[in-house]
This record gives sequence, structure tokens and C-alpha cells, in this order.
Amino acid sequence: MNLKNITAEKLVALYTRRDLSVTEVITSVFDEIDRSDKSIHAFITLCRDRALEDARRADSRIAAGEALEPLTGVPVAIKDNMAVRDVPTTCGSKILEGYTSPYTATAVERLRGAGAVIVGKTNLDEFAMGSSTENSGFFVTRNPHNLERVPGGSSGGSAASVAAGMSLIALGSDTGGSIRQPASFCGVVGMKPTYGRVSRYGLVAYASSLDQIGPFAKSVRECAQVLEAISGFDQYDSTSADVAVEPYVKGLDQPVNAIRIGIPREYFDTATGGMDSEVKAAVEEAIRRYESMGCKIEEIRLPHTEHAVATYYLIATAEASANLARYDGVRYGRREAGSGGLGEMYRKTRMAGFGKEVKRRILLGTYALSAGYYDAYYLKALKVRTLILQDFQKAFEKVDLILTPTTPTVAFRIGEKTSDPLSMYLSDIFTITCNLAGLPGISLPCGTNSEKLPIGMQLLGNHFQEGLLLRAAHQFEKAGGFGDISA
Amino acid sequence: MRISEADVEYVAKLANLEVPDNDKKELAEQLSRIVEHVEQLNTLDVSSVPPTNQVVTNSKHALREDLALPRVGSSEAGKTVKLFKVPKVITER
Repeated sequence: MNLKNITAEKLVALYTRRDLSVTEVITSVFDEIDRSDKSIHAFITLCRDRALEDARRADSRIAAGEALEPLTGVPVAIKDNMAVRDVPTTCGSKILEGYTSPYTATAVERLRGAGAVIVGKTNLDEFAMGSSTENSGFFVTRNPHNLERVPGGSSGGSAASVAAGMSLIALGSDTGGSIRQPASFCGVVGMKPTYGRVSRYGLVAYASSLDQIGPFAKSVRECAQVLEAISGFDQYDSTSADVAVEPYVKGLDQPVNAIRIGIPREYFDTATGGMDSEVKAAVEEAIRRYESMGCKIEEIRLPHTEHAVATYYLIATAEASANLARYDGVRYGRREAGSGGLGEMYRKTRMAGFGKEVKRRILLGTYALSAGYYDAYYLKALKVRTLILQDFQKAFEKVDLILTPTTPTVAFRIGEKTSDPLSMYLSDIFTITCNLAGLPGISLPCGTNSEKLPIGMQLLGNHFQEGLLLRAAHQFEKAGGFGDISA
Repeated sequence: MRISEADVEYVAKLANLEVPDNDKKELAEQLSRIVEHVEQLNTLDVSSVPPTNQVVTNSKHALREDLALPRVGSSEAGKTVKLFKVPKVITER
């Protein structure tokens, strides 16, 4: 049983015909994890016993001839910043050592409701702060395509697990590209839905006005299946949108020939993006393919793109500094004893528990919010955010979708950017505007470079246009044949 | 704007963080580079632009009936473990 050559739909069909049992598949998934994860290190926690119990339950339902849910017996991995009841949630941080979640995140609950079997929780940059999974407090995850390269981040474990066939699908979270960038680096499909589309109840907050949960899969169709299962209003998340969920899977094969696709000049300007020539060539080839499918290609302007990284790193760190104030040694996980009273206990716990990048971002965010600097930094960033949003609103008057590269380069080498945080931040240039504007975005493979490393392209849509995004991505995939770049 | 080691120390205090002495110089340099980069926003005139705190997306939570709803979370945890052990958080000044 090799997960690399199968889709969720085929798997469920095999179960229905009783050609395979869920127990067999889940057992072979753990065999694969035991074999591959020694070198890839995608998982922090494995849920072996629970998964096998879920598998047995599914098998007895199949034996009884019950109707199956669309993801019955499909092995999924969950980024370890989402709560699963009675399972540790670490966020890749030593500060949460010993913490076990007392409830399950809504998105995870809904995925389970659709039949999925959770195999484990995946590695990430600590509290989702990073672009390479090198900032995990535990270990570095490696790219299944080349073990000397990063898988991207922060949802690097989830992306690697799907790319290496250790799970069929996975959930990640995306605050500035943390689903789309690792999807691009690992050669899989990853989607960040509209802000509010998927409930964030049970997702550990990093930057609350930007965070959003979304799926990873090897195909757009599976992404659509997962998104359909996890989307929709949730009374437990006050930012959850009360907007009907489209039947995403059903809509995949509707025609795309009348779609207008915008190409933002700023993203292809080497001064802004520093785009690698092979990435550029692959994305231009993708644009030609859409043209040959009958789509109308138009150049558009997003003039404030060059300010996106600065805006993002002020807003995200400011929100993070407030959100992470709760890790004080009183309520969660780790606690360092001190002799100097409460204040010392807070400081000692936070010093021992947080890693370097998390501290750096808390310091930057605290600085941006501090007296005398609030107007100059934080408020200014919120205003520039308005300009970035207006850029997109204008663009979507002219076009239906926007096509860009997902990242300026392919997966970089482990250690290449760790000593220079700013250069790591700048590599997020193409993905962060989407979060600032609350838009949906999807990354899908569009080729490989000369070293056989995956290249990803990104499609962005207007708010709640996930249906259109998925349809355009699916038909590109169908016309393409990039199916053979699994690791 | 350059961030000094004293700034790092001050902001760390505000954030309830302790920064070891031998990390201060490196942090001051890294934060200075980041702050110099974000200061490019000063080239924009945003005096008449309203701030965007959040891209509002059809939320229906503004007002609801004041009813106790079932919830999961800490109350659920309370059923399992009965009591939470926390350190003494009230101290004499």
C-alpha cells in the first residue's frame, strides 16, 4: 500500500468494495512513518493506538454496510498547533511541554466527522513563527525531495508528511504563507482559505487577524474535499464567517475559459521579488497554459507590494506579543521555579521556554506597541494594510484571479538563512499580502528546476471565491501532468 | 532607528522576558536591521488613510441573546481533573 499513488476518493472506493480494510491501510501508514520519518522528522506526536481504534471502528461500519463519509479511513496529519483532545499540543515549543489539550479544534472535529483518521501531529516552527521549520523547539524537519533542504514553514511537517506519503492529507495554518510556501517547497497542493472561512477554535493563536487553517493534499480535488468538510460558521470562533459553503468538489469541472487572470507586474519585477530565473520560467509557462485554455491574461498593478513585508512583520509581531503573553508558567505547560516571586517566575519560565525567533518577534512586537512608538510603527502598519487591501479591491474589479509564483526560489538549504532573520522574512514576499487582505490563496506544483526541486505557483481570489480558485487550480492540474513529482 | 542593548533590555522587561547578557548585542543588531527595514513605511503619506485592524468577513457575533451555551474547553477539563494546581500568584508588595 503506497499512499503516493492513491487519492482519497480511490481509497474510499477500495474500502467500499472491501478490496482493502481501513486497518490494513492505517497499519501500513505507520510502517511507512517508521521507515521514512527517521530521516524526514515530520511528526512530533504519533496517535498510533487511537488511529488503529478509529480504523477498527470504520471497518466494522463498512462490514455492516453503512454509507461511508467522503474521507472515511483517510489518514491525515494535523499541525501541532491545533488541539486534539487528550493529545499533547506543543506548538513546537518547550514552553508547552507537558500540556495536553482538553478539547478538539473545530476544524479537526469536522475532519473526523467526515471520516478521517488522525495519524499524528506534525512539526512546525515554534508557534508557527518561521518559514523553514528550523525554528522548532524540538528538531528540524527535512524536505522529502532533498534531505539537505528545508521543507518550508511554518507548516513544514504537514507538507513533508503528505509529500512523503506518511499521510494522504494534512491540516496546516497560514499566517503569512505557512501553508502555501511549504506546499510549494514540497511539491504538494496547499490552500489558505478566506479569513473567517474555517473556524480557528482550537488553533493556538499567533497573529489573530491573519491566522487561518487550511488543507494540504497531493491533488486539488482532495483539497476541495477537505475544505468542504472543515469550512463553515462556528459559534465558538467570533471571527468565523456566516457565509454558506459552496459544494467545492462538484464545481471543479465547470468551465474556466471565461476567467480573467491578472499578473501583477510588481511580483515579476526582480527588484521587489528577487525571483529565481527557473521559477520565473515555470510560472510564465503556467500563464501560457492558462492562455491556451482560453483564459484572458491581463497585467495588473499591486503598487504597495514592496511594503508588504514591513507591514506584515509589524502587525504579526504586535499581535503575537499580546497572544503569547498567556504563556507565563501559570496556566500551561512548563513552569520554572524562582525565589523572587511571581514576576521572576514569569520571566524565568518564558526565558527557558521560548526559542530565539519567538523571543525576537515578541520583542519586536512589544517595541512596535510601546509608548512613543505605537503611532510610528503599529498604527502606520495598519494604515498601509488598508492600502494593500485597496490594491487588491481595485485589481478584482478587472480580473477574477491573480497568478503569481508562491515563492521567489525553490526550497533553500538547511541553515542557509538562520543567521539572518530579515532575509528569511523577505522570502515571504509573495504570500503575505494575501493574509493582510484576508484573501483565499492556493499553491500548486507547476514544475521542477534543474535539481528536480518542486516549483509552486499561487492563485489568489477575492473573498470567499474558494470555489473559483479550486476550479482554476484543478483544471490546470488536469491539463498539466505534474502528477509525477512526488518525493 | 538603531536599537541599543539598553532598548533590548527595556523592551524585554515590558514583555516579561529575560535576555541573557551575551544575546543582547546580537538581538540589538538584528532588531535594528528589521526596524530599519520597516521604516520604509515612512515614505508613504497615510495621514488620511483609515487603519485596517481586521478584514471583516460577515461575522454575526456582534450581538446575541445572553444565553448560556454548552462549551468545551476549560470547563470540560475541570470535569476531568476537578482542580488545577497553580502557583501562588498574590504576593505582598
